[in-house]
Parts: sequence; structure tokens; C-alpha cells
Amino acid sequence: MSKQIVRLSVNGSNHELLLEPQMTLLQALRDELGLTGTKYGCGVCECGACTVLVDGKPVLACSILAISVRDKDILTIEGLAGNGNLHPIQQAFIDYGAIQCGFCTPGMILSSKALLDENPRPSRQEVKEWLAGNLCRCTGYVKIIEAVMAASETMVKGGSHGK
Amino acid sequence: MPRVLQPFEYLEPRSAAEATRILADYGTRAKAMAGGVDLLPRIRQRKICPEVIVSIQNIPGLDSIKEERGQLRIGALVTLHTAELDRLIKERYTALHEAVHHLASVQVKTMATLVGNLCVATPASDMAAALFVLGASLVVVSPDKERAIPIEQFFLKPGQTALQPGELVTEIVVPAPAPDSGSAFLKLVRTAADIAKVNAAVCLTVDGDACKEARIALGSVAPTTIRAPRAEAAIKGQKLTGDTIQAAARAAEAESRPITDVRSNADYRREMSGLLVGRAIKIAFQRARGQHE
Ligand SMILES: Cc1cc2nc3c(=O)[nH]c(=O)nc-3n(C[C@H](O)[C@H](O)[C@H](O)COP(=O)(O)OP(=O)(O)OC[C@H]3O[C@@H](n4cnc5c(N)ncnc54)[C@H](O)[C@@H]3O)c2cc1C
Ligand code: FES
Ligand code: FES
Repeated sequence: MSKQIVRLSVNGSNHELLLEPQMTLLQALRDELGLTGTKYGCGVCECGACTVLVDGKPVLACSILAISVRDKDILTIEGLAGNGNLHPIQQAFIDYGAIQCGFCTPGMILSSKALLDENPRPSRQEVKEWLAGNLCRCTGYVKIIEAVMAASETMVKGGSHGK
Repeated sequence: MPRVLQPFEYLEPRSAAEATRILADYGTRAKAMAGGVDLLPRIRQRKICPEVIVSIQNIPGLDSIKEERGQLRIGALVTLHTAELDRLIKERYTALHEAVHHLASVQVKTMATLVGNLCVATPASDMAAALFVLGASLVVVSPDKERAIPIEQFFLKPGQTALQPGELVTEIVVPAPAPDSGSAFLKLVRTAADIAKVNAAVCLTVDGDACKEARIALGSVAPTTIRAPRAEAAIKGQKLTGDTIQAAARAAEAESRPITDVRSNADYRREMSGLLVGRAIKIAFQRARGQHE
């Protein structure tokens, strides 16, 4: 099928890519732009490993066509730290031991960011519900939830230095 | 799972009329795409192989929820996330709010549309059960006409709707809830973000302790979502007591026709149909009375 020029805005930089229409956002990020932080887990909207933010909303890059998000703001895990400082959510995941193999982590952190942007002081239950679409085979979730609660505290107190 | 999708042509019509002309021209070779949550995984799994994807995402005017002459109108591009946050739906169309709230993950809700959920025609659709009891219908356009399909006539069998090639759903229309009515939706699942083993929705209109009108729907227990008319008859015109509610629950069990699959088995589904219907009647009853007082 015919390739088309697609402009993608990823982590604040614009890229012009020559893409076939069936290329997913996940492929464009990983294979074309070399941003391999976003993971390929199931490919069918079940696991959340491919979560990125499009215009601030969490979506699944495995099941979105790159061409359909041209000219929108895409944030991947690579774009979260600012000026060499980790985002408070990233720092909390480290401090609370919420990372084991790390495969789910980029998706977990971006889903958490979308939550805290929409609801800065979520309850534990709200964190659980919001992260239900991000599967983790390692941690058992407890430390992840603790990390998100802690990041919420830090960010409410004004410790946010990420984007 | 294959990492790449089979090639297809991609079109982005700017109006519903243009979309229906393209869909009519290509017939079964084309597929409409809203959120893509169902469509793209199916293409990845090689279950379908459309030559043309017709994205409706850029058609203006389809992304709003509005109340017009007492009717609720939900456009074809309204996502589950938008519907979940909508105050009107939460306050007046409670069963629909509950169905959306308990469905899938935030990511899926952000991408998926209500109309897309219906067009997939899964017998487990949570939207369908809620919209059955709320008496919804769908506005469907094709190149040369527009028609309304009552939701109970929309599903033919698993995976198949009454849509003809070239037809596009543009809106869901839900009538205003009757005075002194209340609705509820309940669902039984394996894990929080899973699709239902059984779901049930109930909408009641009451007069004091008595039930004037009753609509009861069940999902995941037959080839399509079903109404349960004998369960409805068991409470309609009756005082709502432990006994009449129990009779409705038993009738619902008898009306369900479940199968055994990975999510549950037929016997359990049948028993749970009754249980959920009984509970949903009690909740809807309280809500209907609450509004009355
Ligand atoms: C992890 C997961 C969990 C889920 N859990 C549940 C659940 O618990 N309960 C439940 O009910 N559902 C559940 N779903 C299903 C989900 O709600 C639907 O897949 C989704 O709503 C489809 O909407 P969409 O906009 O993405 O449709 P698309 O994938 O874009 O389209 C789906 C189908 O509908 C057709 N279509 C779409 N819009 C139109 C239109 N306007 N006119 C005509 N045809 C159209 C398309 O051609 C396609 O065949 C789940 C899905 C996932 C991935
Ligand atoms: S890879 Fe996208 S949800 Fe699993
Ligand atoms: S840390 Fe391994 S999957 Fe979550």
C-alpha cells in the first residue's frame, strides 16, 4: 500500500516519517524512532505494556494507527524526565521497589501520570481501578500502588519537576 | 501474536455521507473504524483482513452527548471515558453509567466508543444490557436513507448486527426516563477488567410499593443480549416483596440459555442470572422510590 508522510509530535519534538497506513503507533515509536521504552506485550489491548499518552490521555499504542495520531501530542516514557531529573512518579517507583523486571514499568508510570494529572489525590481504590489495565507479572502490585500514593503526596506538595 | 498488521488502504472521510458512500462502494472489503479497540486486534490476529479501513474519527459532530427534547443522544464517536464522566448519564441513566464504569481498563475506555461496542455484537456487551432496559434505539444512515433501529432488533447473532453494507450508526438515542423510575446494572466477572460471565440490567417504574413497569435484560447467557419477559411479568403490577422478587429471579433463570466456555459454565451462569436479576430489582426499586420521595 502507498506510503504517506506522517508528522508525529513525540515528547515535544516533531518527526516526519514515511509510513504505510497499517503501521501502528507502537511500531513507529520503536522501529522508526528507536524509542524502545514502550513495550510490546500482547498486541490486543489486554496488558497495557504499550501505554503512551496522546493529548494527555492513556492509550494503547499497539492498537492505534500511527497515521491516526498525526499532529497530536504523544508522550512516551522517554519524555517524562526533565533536565536530567526523574519525574516524581519515576523516583517513587525506584524508592518503593515498584520495579522488578521492568517490562510493565513504562506503561504503569504513564497510566499513573494520567491519573495524577486528572485526580491529584486519588484513594488507594482509585489507583487500583485506574491501573487495572496494566498487568505486572512480578511485583504483586502492592509496591506499585504504594509508589503511586507516595508520588501523589510529593506532587501535591509541589515536588513536580517532570513535564 | 504477529507484530505487524496486514496491509490495507486507509481512508478518512470528512462526513457521514462520504463514509457511507465509501462503505457502500467497497461492501464487505471495507470496515468502518471508530476507536479500533476491537478492529485492530482482530486484524492482528488474522481473524479478518479488510482491504480498506474507513476511519470515522474525523467526521465532525459525532462526538457529543446531548439532551434534546428530553431524549439523550450519544454520538458515534463518544468514548466510554467521556460517557463515564458525563453527569447527566450518571444522574438519570444510572444503569448505563454503571455498565460503562465497570467495563475494561482506562486505556480501553479512552479509545473505545459506545457505538463500536454495540457494533461488535458480542453477547456479553455491557452497553447492550443497559440500553435494552433504557429502551434505546440507533440512528443508522446509508447513502440514500436514514432509519432508526430499536436496540432489541439490532443484534442478530454473535458478531452479527442488522446493519447492511454501506450503513453507519451515527447516534444512540435514549428516551427520557419515566417519572418514578430507577435503573441498575450488575455484572459478574473473573477479574476487574474482564468481560462478563453474566450481566443484568433492570429498569422499574414504581407507584409506592408496587411495580408499574419493569424491563429486565440479561447478557452473556444467550446468543445475543435478551429481555426476560417472564421475569418482568412476575413483578409487573405486583407489590415488590421478597416473594415476588424471588419469583422474578427464578423466571430469569429459566429464561437464560447459557453455554459453557472459558469464562464460566452453563449451570453457574443460569443460577447467577437469577441472583443478579433479584439484586438489580432491589437496587432499581430503591432508586425509583428515592426519586419519588
Ligand atoms: C481488554 C478489553 C476488555 C473489554 N471489556 C469489555 C466489557 O467488559 N464489556 C463490554 O461490553 N465490552 C468490553 N470490551 C469491548 C469494547 O468495549 C469494544 O471492543 C469497544 O467498545 C469497541 O469500540 P471501538 O470504538 O474501538 O470499535 P472499533 O474497533 O473501531 O469497531 C468495532 C466494530 O464496529 C464497527 N463500527 C464501529 N463504529 C461503527 C459505526 N459508527 N457504524 C457502523 N459500524 C461501526 C467496526 O466496523 C468494527 O467492525 C473490552 C475490550 C477490551 C479490549
Ligand atoms: S501490547 Fe498493547 S495492550 Fe498489550
Ligand atoms: S516488573 Fe516485571 S512485569 Fe511488572
